[in-house]
Order: sequence, then C-alpha cells, then structure tokens
Amino acid sequence: MNSLITILLVLILNFLLFRVMPGNPLHSIVPQDPQIPEAYKQKLIDKYGLDDPLYVQFFTYAWSTIHLDFGDSFVYSGTPAMEYVLEKMKWTLILTGISSVLMIVIGMFIGIIAAWRRGGAFDTGSLAFSLFFYAMPTFWFAMMLIVVFSTELRWFPSNSALSFGDTLEPTWASFVDLVKHLVLPATSLTIGSIAAFSLIMRGSLIDVMTEEYITTARAKGLTEGQVLKRHAVPNAALPMVALIAIDLAFVVGGAFQTEVVFNYPGVGYATVEATYDRDYPILQAAFFLVAIVVIAANLLADLLMVYLDPRVKMG
Amino acid sequence: MTAHSSGRPSNPTPASGTGRFGLSEPTVEKLRLYRKKSLQIWRIFRGNWMGMMGLLILLFFIVMAVFAAQLMWLFSVIGGWDYAYGPFDRVTTTALVTPPSPEHWLGTDIRGYDILARLIYGTRVSLEVGLVATVVSMGLGSLVGLLSGFWGGWKDEVLMRITDVFLVLPWLVFMIVLATLIPGGPSVGKVILVIGITGWSSTARIVRAQVLSLKERTFIERAKAIGAGDYYIVRKHVFPNVFPLVFANSILTIALSILSESTLSFIKLGPDPTQVVTWGNMLQDAVEGYAIRNELYMWVLMPGLCIVFVVLGFTFLGYALDEIFNPKLRKR
Repeated sequence: MNSLITILLVLILNFLLFRVMPGNPLHSIVPQDPQIPEAYKQKLIDKYGLDDPLYVQFFTYAWSTIHLDFGDSFVYSGTPAMEYVLEKMKWTLILTGISSVLMIVIGMFIGIIAAWRRGGAFDTGSLAFSLFFYAMPTFWFAMMLIVVFSTELRWFPSNSALSFGDTLEPTWASFVDLVKHLVLPATSLTIGSIAAFSLIMRGSLIDVMTEEYITTARAKGLTEGQVLKRHAVPNAALPMVALIAIDLAFVVGGAFQTEVVFNYPGVGYATVEATYDRDYPILQAAFFLVAIVVIAANLLADLLMVYLDPRVKMG
Repeated sequence: MTAHSSGRPSNPTPASGTGRFGLSEPTVEKLRLYRKKSLQIWRIFRGNWMGMMGLLILLFFIVMAVFAAQLMWLFSVIGGWDYAYGPFDRVTTTALVTPPSPEHWLGTDIRGYDILARLIYGTRVSLEVGLVATVVSMGLGSLVGLLSGFWGGWKDEVLMRITDVFLVLPWLVFMIVLATLIPGGPSVGKVILVIGITGWSSTARIVRAQVLSLKERTFIERAKAIGAGDYYIVRKHVFPNVFPLVFANSILTIALSILSESTLSFIKLGPDPTQVVTWGNMLQDAVEGYAIRNELYMWVLMPGLCIVFVVLGFTFLGYALDEIFNPKLRKR
C-alpha cells in the first residue's frame, strides 16, 4: 500500500518537475528547434493536451505515463523516449547486477570477519579501507582505474561496452570482449559501495552476538565457527535484505558516474547526454523508469522480509 | 547526554561574591557549567583518534581556503615566479595545456589557467557548498521531522509519505533532473539548492523518531502539566535534546554534500569553470583536456585527492561526534 502511494507521489513529482516548473512547460514535450515545422509542434501540443487547464493536463499526463509514452526523443527523432531508455537499460542491468552481487558477497564477508575479530587488525584495517573508499567520488576512482589499468598497464579497455557496435553476438569472442569491457566499470562500482555493506553487516552481527541464544548455542558446546554459521550470521543477515534495497538508490548513482567515465552505453550515460542535449523526453523517461525500478526493489525487499522474518508484519 | 541530566552541579561551589564582568550570579554559574561540560566533551573527543584525525585534516583545508592568496604568494616567492597566479589568470603564452614545470608545478589547463592556483582556491567553494547545502538540508529536514513528530495523525502520515519518496529516489538521478530543470544558468546557488532539496529526508526521519520518543518522556508531560505551550516545549525541551543528534549527523551530511557538488560539477551541471573553480569542474576540464591520454596525471590526481581527504575529514569527525553525543553507540 505504501509503495502504491510512493509511486503515485513519484507520478505527481514527475508532473510537477517536467510540466509545471517555471519556464516553458512545452519544453518537456515539444522540441524548441526553430527548424522543426510549426504544424508538427502543434500536433504534439494537441496530442499531449498542453493547452488544457493544469488538472486536465495531469490526467492526460497520467494516462500517457501509464502507457509509458513520454514523447519522442528530440535528438533521435522518431524514437519513442521509453524505447530508447529501455534499450540502454540492459547495459545498466548487466553492470549493476554483477557489481551488486559482488559488493554484497564481499561486503558481508568483510563485515563478518571484522565483527568476529572485533577490535583486531582486520577490523581496524577494513574500517579504514571502507571509509577511504566511501569518501572517494566514484567517478574519480573510475578515472584512476583507467590511468593504472588502461593507460599504463594496457590490460583492459576504458571505453564503451564492446569493441565494435553495441550488439552482443552469440560467440565466445564477443563474450570475452564483453567481460573485458566490464572489468574496470564493475570494479569501480563494486569497491565504491562495499563500505555500506561491510559496515552494516559488522554492526548487525555485533548486535546479534550479544543475544542470549548465542550464549545458549555456545553452552551446547558448538564451536565458534558453528555458532557463527548456524546461529549468528543468518540472523544478522536479515537487516541486510532491507538495506540492500535502500542502498540500491546509491548503487544506481554510482552506476551513473561509472557509465559516464567509461562511456558505458547504459541509462546513466544516456541521461547525462540527454541533459547536454536538453532532450527532455529521454530525461523524463529515464527518471521515471529508474525511480520505479528502485521502488519496486524496495517493495520486493519488504515482502522478502515478511517471508524471512515472521516477527515483521506488513505495514 | 541530554541537556537536562546535567541541570544541577554535583558539588556546588561557594558563591564568589559579586559576579565577574558585572554578570549576575546565576549567569556566571551557568557559564561555569557550560565550560565544565565543554571541557568534558573535549576530553572524550581528544581520546578518539578518528575525531582528532578528522579535525587535523579539516584544519589543513580551512587554512588552505582562508589563506589561498597568501599561500600562492609564498609559492611564487619560493618558485621565483613573476607573480602569484590567481585561479582565473591566463598564465600561458603559447599552448594552453602544459605539463608540470618549475613555473607551474602542476601544469596548466585547457584555458591556460595554473592548476595549482585553481586547486588551492577551489577549496573555498567546496567547503562553502558543503556547509551551506548542509544548513539548507538540515533545516528542511529538522523542520519536517519536528512538525511530523509533534503533530502526529494524518499530517504526520502525509509528511512521512513525502519523505519516503525523497528517501527512495536515486539521489544522483534526482539531482541531475533538478539541476537541468531549475531555470537560470548554472551557479553555486543552484548547486546548493539542488543538494539541499535532495538531501533532507534522512534528517527528517531521525528527528521525527527522536521527537516521538521524547514526547513520551515524563519531563515533557510535566512541562505540559504546568501549562507550557507547544512552542515553549519545542524550544526548551525538544530542540536541545534533538540538536546533538542532528549536529553529528550534519557533519556527515557535509561530506555527502561535497561529494554531490563534485559529481554535479563533473557532469557539467555545476557552476561555470571560468567564473567559479571547484575540484569537480577541474576534473571535468581534465577530461576535456584528455589529461589521462596525455599522461598529465597530476591534473587528475590532485583535485581527486583533495575531495577524498576533505570528505574523509568530515566523515571521521562525524563518526567521532556521533559516538560522543549518542551514548548508545559508545563501546560496550
């Protein structure tokens, strides 16, 4: 229910931002290029009801949004904005998907060891490491990776997602090419976001370790490893599920920066290009799509929490 | 550490005759208590390596920001340059981009500006944006949190749903959209506004939670019972108890604001590099000047390191203050 309200509010926010904001509201749907014939512009104004009163406009807007119709791209004329963004989405999904799995697994692993050996060298070291990369702008870390591994060592390419074109062929060579282009962007995205996961896992596990059932487990004669694996970690991992969804918003931010630096042809790159070209339909479609994906992920995490932890009730 | 627990001194000192500096005795006593408490906090703080390190890092950058011109003058004397370069002086005669040299220690950029001068002057805007944007987002967040927690009911519900939206929206995407759509050319004020608008939601959540728990406490009930008004209670009882939490949180928010500013500047949504110099737009210039391909690494390395250390300084300080003001987090 809350998610539905959130989606509705995003819908309203999107409307306010792109249609009501001061300046010419026509900008967001009708290209301002003087070379484009007036008749075409008028057709767009009629189609999206931009002459109607604001409340009528809202319903027209809501109707077209439900049909994922955000108008045609200004730059790539004739391409519906949503189609263009969805096409870019696959690259973003590959990049964030792989990085997310890596950052969650590595982050949890670091967090577990740090909590287990609390106050030790690993704990202090990993905290310093985490904070250092947390303080680093993702885009700059990406540039540094290019300096070291691309310009100096020449191990990996630093540009785009594939060597030729942007369609993936079902061949081994093409797959290797894809992976090679993915290594540096995925590394910069992963390492920049590990801190969030390791710090939370550490805190959560330290909390759990003070619970009485852990003492009970120890009293039963289980080894430290068994206590950790069977009793502590599964319980400490619960809050992680909710946090993975919340952090997704930050991961998407990191992905945008990474894509810009590596010219990786995903949604982030497309969005930033769209701001340079003032290609509002694409900007709007990208904003809406990303927001919906993140909200859906949050909803999924909520549902998963209810399933995993009977103490949590649907709010 | 609530502001109320220390209401009474544990061993009252004998009154020292008439108040010093012509102040009345209760005022002197109050000042003495403040001093005692500050010293106490300072003592805890001094024992926290993270906090001290953060403070040292920040002092370094504050000196750099305040004495930027003097620093450049000093360097010009050491390096034997013709004059102390400013951040917007075109210092090259032939090629614009030049590698590091005795005259230009970090080289010159795509507009023929001295990179070292821009690096040093750039500290000012980064700190300014970080601080002001934080004040904006903290103010907004505290206001929403206070009202929401205090009002309760459907108003609370409405405010929290709105907060949820801002919490869940991917910050960078939202910032990009706002920066593109807010009318007017790029400027420092716009960057501050954009960061402020996108960054208040978590503060609102924290403040609301704190207000809700305070509302149940007996001293608030007591104040209500003896007839204190809402405004009085917020000012005298709620605010002093919420403030320490918000303060520690705001230090961490400065770190995030500086990161946001550099990211926005990097994707050309920040202020114009010929008017305002920030570390973020220096890095953007480096991309445009193909600094990496031409192996002009200093140009890429230095602004980034400055961002990392400033952010790290605020993060360290924020963590330390959180530990001090938030007794729950003290080491068990």
